[in-house]
Amino acid sequence: MTNSMSNVGRINTLMGKNFSLIDAKIIDQYQVSYVLKKDDIHRALSVLKSNGFRQLSYLSCVDWPNDHEIEMVYIVMNWDEALHIQLHARIDRDNPVMDSILPIYPGAKYYEREAHEFFGVAFPGNPDYDKQLILEGWDDIPPMRKDFDPRAYSDKKFTKRDPKENFEVTDKTSKRPRQERREERANNLRTGGKK
Amino acid sequence: MRELKLFLGPQHPGMHGNAAVHMYVEGDIIKKSYLLPGMLHRGFEKGMERHSWINNISLIPRVCVVEPDINEMAFAQGVELLAGIEVPERAHYIRMIILELARISIHMMAYGGLGSPTGNYTLMYHAHADRNTILNIFEKITGHRVYHQYIVPGGVRKDLPKGIEEDIHAFLDSLESRYEEYRDLGIENPSLLKRIKDTIMLPEEVVWDLGVTGVGMRSAVNKPYDLRKVKPYARYDQVDFEIPVSSYSDARARVDIKLKEVVQSISIIRQALEKMPTGPVRVPLGRGQSMRWTVPSGSVYSTVESSRGEFGYFIVSDGKTHPYRVGVRGASYPQGLLGIEKYLPGTRIDDAALWVDTMGVCSPEIDR
Repeated sequence: MTNSMSNVGRINTLMGKNFSLIDAKIIDQYQVSYVLKKDDIHRALSVLKSNGFRQLSYLSCVDWPNDHEIEMVYIVMNWDEALHIQLHARIDRDNPVMDSILPIYPGAKYYEREAHEFFGVAFPGNPDYDKQLILEGWDDIPPMRKDFDPRAYSDKKFTKRDPKENFEVTDKTSKRPRQERREERANNLRTGGKK
Repeated sequence: MRELKLFLGPQHPGMHGNAAVHMYVEGDIIKKSYLLPGMLHRGFEKGMERHSWINNISLIPRVCVVEPDINEMAFAQGVELLAGIEVPERAHYIRMIILELARISIHMMAYGGLGSPTGNYTLMYHAHADRNTILNIFEKITGHRVYHQYIVPGGVRKDLPKGIEEDIHAFLDSLESRYEEYRDLGIENPSLLKRIKDTIMLPEEVVWDLGVTGVGMRSAVNKPYDLRKVKPYARYDQVDFEIPVSSYSDARARVDIKLKEVVQSISIIRQALEKMPTGPVRVPLGRGQSMRWTVPSGSVYSTVESSRGEFGYFIVSDGKTHPYRVGVRGASYPQGLLGIEKYLPGTRIDDAALWVDTMGVCSPEIDR
């Protein structure tokens, strides 16, 4: 269970040899990040899993509306080499479909359901990816997309509170300067209310 | 026999937090079960995108209610890694003290929580009293009892108050002196032992299938897979401690490991208090304009070993004053959702609460 930069180097050569990497970045000695093509993700995950990356740590998406793309993020971990690997791949935003990784990592089931709920990505291969998980009866675009505006949604969805009572100051005397009122109070105290 | 649908939680003494386990039972054997999360969904991941890096400090501890400090640590670490901030040496040790106190408090709460599904309430009251002492110490250090907002990007918010070492030492000594008593009350207690021994075993293959980390994993695979040892953060490489493991994972083994971790945490805190250097505890982020402070673009995944396993923050920055995306990997995701669906069927109704307690399922971090 020792980590050194040699582990990073080993994975770097492994990935460089097998895949056409769009981008590779070493974040620190415990973490590497790769950007792959969408079609390479499943093969890359299989290769990594057979190389000791047995744990899927995280699966999620990042929305990039200006590029019309959604970025899939897979993070796998190797406990013996103390290494996290981020795999990024971009998919089309208007019709986001990504094949499920359930056969490789069975633990991805609920992550994919959550990604579908919050980003609208479809995961064919996962039997119930489109079942409701956290949001109950959701009726708008997926909420974690950048063009979803929570304030506009709550304005549309919930009625505005309309206070019946009027809290405006109607008593004009209270608008008198504070100094004046204080003097009057002091006079009242002194004279007992008599002028 | 007729199949019935039962709801365990959210209002059940054995259910932790605002989630329910739906199960279909025949007799008292569970045939099908799944967790119903979503009762505590507060939209934190979206909320974090709408607040600046510094404002987020007040949001993140609320992701997991009972153990807020790991959130602060994971977020602060990730931001420091992105922005390339070097944290002062003293701050690392203070962070370790806070994190280990939090670990003792959550293990105590889980150990006491074992009392409620098994009907041993004395244990619960004792354990919660000790947790309360830790909260008092937190209040002296940070000013808050539960959500401390103490570990911030760049260090910790303030230095330790004068004389807090005596409080901490006094608490650790008293906890240590009653440690055997605790064991007798709980896992050495014959009536409790009957309930937790050989119940809800967790074989090694299942660990890898589910992706379980933390106590559940270490109790099954017999290897010290703890992020504090595997990829040391703060100054965990400067202190001596051991990772308790076992090769046979039932409810008793997992509780046993939690109690042994409390002993290790006590020793870590003592070493940290001894080795702690003097000096500054925080590096200033921006000169008087921390609200306009920006973080260079990039994406990191920063992890902390929580009491339930690997707790991670996936942070994406596009170089602006707000985070572009913050994703939270709740440590109880695998055992809470997939574990309950795949692994609970076949056990008895009352074992569901034991699974939730001994594996550590924190529903706020599943919902976020």
